[in-house]
Amino acid sequence: MSATFPSEAPRSAWPIRRLTGADPWGLLLLAPSLLLLLALFGVPAVYSVVGAFADKDGKPSLAHFRIAFGVYGHDVFFTAWLVTLSVLVIAAGAVLIGGYLILGSNRTAVRLLAWLYRWPLFVPMVCAAQMMRSFLARNGMLNNALEAADVLTPMHAVSLLDWRGVLITFVWKQLPFVTLMVAGAMAALDRSMIEAARDLGAGRLRVLLGVVLPLVRGPLLVACVLTFVTLMSVLSVPIMLTADSPTMITVDMAYRINTFGDYGTADALGVISYAMTMLVGWIYLRHAARERVLAP
Amino acid sequence: MRPATMVFTACMISAVLSGTARADTTLTVATAGDQNMVDYINQYLGPKFEQTHPGVHVRAIGTGPGDAGSLAIDQKLTAESKSGAATWDIDVCVIHQRGAAQMVPEGLLAKYRDQVDTSKLVTSAKANNALGTDVAGYVLPMFDSQVAIAYNPDVVKQPPHSFAELVDWVKKNPKQFGYNGIKGGMAGIGFVMGWVQAFGGIGDRLDNGPYEDSDKAKIDAALASLKEFNRTAVITPGNAGTLDMLNRGEISMGAVWADMFYDWQKDGRLSPDLKLVLPSPGLPGQPMYYAIPAKAAQPALARQFIELATSPEVQAQGIVERFNWYPGIDAQYVQAKLDPKIWNHLFSDITPQDLKADAKPFPISPYFTAILNAYERDVSQ
Repeated sequence: MSATFPSEAPRSAWPIRRLTGADPWGLLLLAPSLLLLLALFGVPAVYSVVGAFADKDGKPSLAHFRIAFGVYGHDVFFTAWLVTLSVLVIAAGAVLIGGYLILGSNRTAVRLLAWLYRWPLFVPMVCAAQMMRSFLARNGMLNNALEAADVLTPMHAVSLLDWRGVLITFVWKQLPFVTLMVAGAMAALDRSMIEAARDLGAGRLRVLLGVVLPLVRGPLLVACVLTFVTLMSVLSVPIMLTADSPTMITVDMAYRINTFGDYGTADALGVISYAMTMLVGWIYLRHAARERVLAP
Repeated sequence: MRPATMVFTACMISAVLSGTARADTTLTVATAGDQNMVDYINQYLGPKFEQTHPGVHVRAIGTGPGDAGSLAIDQKLTAESKSGAATWDIDVCVIHQRGAAQMVPEGLLAKYRDQVDTSKLVTSAKANNALGTDVAGYVLPMFDSQVAIAYNPDVVKQPPHSFAELVDWVKKNPKQFGYNGIKGGMAGIGFVMGWVQAFGGIGDRLDNGPYEDSDKAKIDAALASLKEFNRTAVITPGNAGTLDMLNRGEISMGAVWADMFYDWQKDGRLSPDLKLVLPSPGLPGQPMYYAIPAKAAQPALARQFIELATSPEVQAQGIVERFNWYPGIDAQYVQAKLDPKIWNHLFSDITPQDLKADAKPFPISPYFTAILNAYERDVSQ
């Protein structure tokens, strides 16, 4: 006895297959997620871009961009600078942690680090921000601990609830994600190259920077691009840790909508945010394309 | 309001509405504000109403804090109005002044006040005027809230009773006063509005209009002095951030919401030693309003619900005792229903006389917008 599975039906029964060569059942499975993506992301994104370039009457205008750059220009640069700095610090930290996991000689320390570094992955961004609010304040846990250890005097204690707090939170929260990708790539490397370099007398740092790092450049770059995009969209951390100005443009977007119902300027700031992430994406794609050309 | 946002908001609220189990009759209350607003209706007001109305189920929907929460209700009702629906999904809405100022001219609210007996207990001007818009007849205040200056009496021996005294104190005690700017919540915005009230020289026009474009120069001058003041002040991260900093002793004075201050003290999150003062010429406060959508499915039931919510008993036990808000109806009707201890606690720092003299409304919309824009342009940069 044999049953005919629908996908085994003659090709002529599925016009879509004749036209596209795609499996119709596959397309059917894809449809819900694709439709959701279009409805919940595609359509609002198109409206945002259109809204950014239109005035109140719907006519083409750059008025919203004039406000976005005129009033929030410093926040645009602050956002680009802070997110770039965070990604660089995270990348450096991930390489160091990943490197220690494959090159470290103390097995207990390696096991402990491998177990420990993932934890912040499970803490939501808003919870991380709330913890940092009391941890980094002038009379917060960090300064209290330093004062108890006689490292700091109360007179010299300062609050880190400004760009430094945002940087620390971003690094703490995103470091595990990048490390996970980088450490995975490092663990998959052929160890004979590392052993050869060590046999020839290279120190661990030299092996990490000269041998391991160039081989995991691809995954590191992907992780950095994803982290950049993630951090660009964070609202909770800057709104909870920094005061008025300078702040990230996500806070300005929320402020324009909540206080003035001004979607136009918020859209313009959104388009600027898109432009920044697209620039980073373009750098990655260019790099990936070059690697593909160079590959044997 | 954008079509995509309206459709999305309508879909989300409709999804919530259709997903809940139905009693015989369901009264839907949409409320802007924090989670405590939803809790108040679900845990206190709703069950109380259901007791006297068998077969009626009260369902509360929270639409989010701040003016954005009122805007979400506005968007939902606008979408229903444009769809031409015979009746709308929301029976009672709880909105901020800005929401009422927008929704009354849009024709989204019903004029119900004369049909509710408890409306006789309300004489406050805020019940008739929302940021310069005439809302008389369309709303009844649920509660009133007030921005005030919280201080630590161990450090501040003589709290400032005027803005001039506050400036002097901050000069002598740099980095000991904090407020949360204009992006971290309404307490900071309230302080900025109070500053312009004190030093702008615009007078009553700020609250009652008419708006004059020439006042922009006066606003700029007042904000220039605020920028100077900010050099010796601390800008805190949000309404809660100011209270946190006061509690940790990082600042000795700060602009806060009075109800949040008392709430935190009651929960043990704030030192009971801290006190409040309302300096003259005053700081703004704002009520939240009960309103009925123009095409509510059950307007009679909605009016009965609001009548209960604005009755002296509920205002005393629910609004004052449970949530530390100032009553929405006139205070004398509420005082009789309350334990004197609770009454005295609420009015010990800021007396009813202080409130009468120095509790201001937020400025009318054109001044409000002009002040915030000027602050961003000249003070934040």
